Amino acid sequence: MPISPELLQKLAERRKTAMLGGGADKLEERKKKGLTSARERLGILFQPGTFMEFGLHAQHDCHHFGLQDKSLPCDGVVTGVGYVEGRPVAAFSQDFTVGGGAVGRIHAQKICDLMDYAQQSGIPVIGINDSGGARIQEGDDSLSGYGQVFFHNVLLSGVVPQISIIAGPCAGGAAYSPALTDFIIMTKKNSQMFICGPDVIKAATGATVTMDEVGSAAAHATVSGNIHFVAEDAPGALALAQRLLSFLPSNNVMDPPHRPAKSLTLDRDPGMNDLVPADPKAPLDVYQVINRLVDDADFLEVQRDWARNIVVGFARIQGIVVGIVANQPMVKAGTLDIDSSDKGARFIRFCNCFNIPLVTLVDIPGFMPGLAQERGGIIRHGAKMLFAYAAATVPKITVIMRKSYGGAYLAMCSKDMGADLVYAWPCAEIAVMGAEGAVNVLFKREIAAAEDPKKKAAELAADYREKFASPYEAASKGMITDVIEPAETRGIVALGLRNTLSKRETRPPKKHGNIPL
Amino acid sequence: MKKLRVTVEGKAYEVLVEMLDEAGAPAPVAAPSASPASLAPVAAPVASPAPKPAAPAAAGGAGDIPSPLAGKVVSIDVKVGQAVEEGAQVATVEAMKMNTYIYAPRAGTVAAILVNAGDGVEEGATLLRLG
Repeated sequence: MPISPELLQKLAERRKTAMLGGGADKLEERKKKGLTSARERLGILFQPGTFMEFGLHAQHDCHHFGLQDKSLPCDGVVTGVGYVEGRPVAAFSQDFTVGGGAVGRIHAQKICDLMDYAQQSGIPVIGINDSGGARIQEGDDSLSGYGQVFFHNVLLSGVVPQISIIAGPCAGGAAYSPALTDFIIMTKKNSQMFICGPDVIKAATGATVTMDEVGSAAAHATVSGNIHFVAEDAPGALALAQRLLSFLPSNNVMDPPHRPAKSLTLDRDPGMNDLVPADPKAPLDVYQVINRLVDDADFLEVQRDWARNIVVGFARIQGIVVGIVANQPMVKAGTLDIDSSDKGARFIRFCNCFNIPLVTLVDIPGFMPGLAQERGGIIRHGAKMLFAYAAATVPKITVIMRKSYGGAYLAMCSKDMGADLVYAWPCAEIAVMGAEGAVNVLFKREIAAAEDPKKKAAELAADYREKFASPYEAASKGMITDVIEPAETRGIVALGLRNTLSKRETRPPKKHGNIPL
Repeated sequence: MKKLRVTVEGKAYEVLVEMLDEAGAPAPVAAPSASPASLAPVAAPVASPAPKPAAPAAAGGAGDIPSPLAGKVVSIDVKVGQAVEEGAQVATVEAMKMNTYIYAPRAGTVAAILVNAGDGVEEGATLLRLG
């Protein structure tokens, strides 16, 4: 006797109802607004036919405030696993058509169950956020749900990559789950993220602010630094997530998806020599260096529009996935300041978590001087760079292109901070401070006693520069692996990466270090 | 001096009470001095008055092009009345051994130049104004 057709019919009906989320009308309304639905988004993210859903039949269990008579299909969130470029990835997608995508107990439990599965299986988690916030009818069950999601975010941090997409409202406490993940991609359209919105700010402080100022993608990408990528809309955000995943391993015990070519080319790239201005004061656009250094100029920049004096992002060099950390002399003279230190350090730590070798490109005159920097805690923030580099055990290759002065030389991964290989271009300047400053300290009396103090200072500075405004003094002491032509950089860094890829470095066991925060 | 009648266990006593003013009160015992392990109190240092800006104060008006960092003006690369495209280089500021080029944030006409080559500028100081 085969299974009763009635049972199959019932299953089909239940499936159909659940898949419609908030109902055909609401889905249609969304479409009219030009917005994709929760399920459409997962359809864009995953390869066709690969989605394995968890909890299609989930329902809320709230008995208060009239909710007992209401159905909330999937409890407002679609969760499951699908394939991205042939690798399984876990994802949840909040459904705004179901009770505004509000988070209740079962909703949160579904997300946590998915994260448990992802942790056990060692696969990345992508969270698509589109939720009005806590489901108020559920009271502290909802609050507890958020807490459990946060706890899982932290549990998974450094184990599997976690990417958040903000494709709708993400307000109040809800914003802290994305903040605990590795990357946030935010859509320009239809999304806001904030702790206290304009209404609360007005009530509490009397100040009138706009939503754009407080919670837009533009504000977070350029001012707060809370997010890492901006996309036009949800499909764009999902495409970015796919591109980001193409550089990341599935978990912390796997290597990133290197695609090493069978043979390495050590060909010279004369164009790289042409990039370097003869005048040391003329800035070098580090993007041009990066584009020539990496494969196919394919560089996925992270936090492009914030703290632009440092450039960080992912690329491949002759097939090997790398995290690039580079000073940008075109912005604020390439100095490290509070924001750029935070940006660099966080990126370095992500790469270290996930076995991504670091390539550091140095052209830095120093830390940013100024009262605001000192009072803002540049000591604490700059220390993050030192801490992150010293703590990183992935292959670390440093190229000193031009300036590398003082503490900033150390903060850009000098040999002392554990760089495995340090290359310097012939125009590199490695010194504790600039020539003029140095001679004023060293030869204060001689300069004062001279007939023409200005001339004397200039002469002494020229001597100092001759000695230190070159890489050879540092190279003679073993601080530099080799002095290379800019044209040789791509070949030599590629070779260095291959040779260092098998690096094994162990440290004394501890819970974790205490990075200055 | 006040005269009071106090009754104790049914028996009345007449007593004189002298009100001591504060000066007459016993001196309060000073709290033991802070132990060396306690935190020394500090107040945030008062910010020194803002230095007289070498150049016009912070930019704010529409069309104002500010200096992105403190430094010395090397050159103003446009003239008053000149039309500039968005992204055109309009000035050069030197700081931290490096020239920083300043670009027009939008197309417009140079309405005013507020600094001269050689001037020191603070971060945010207006260099030029676009009309």
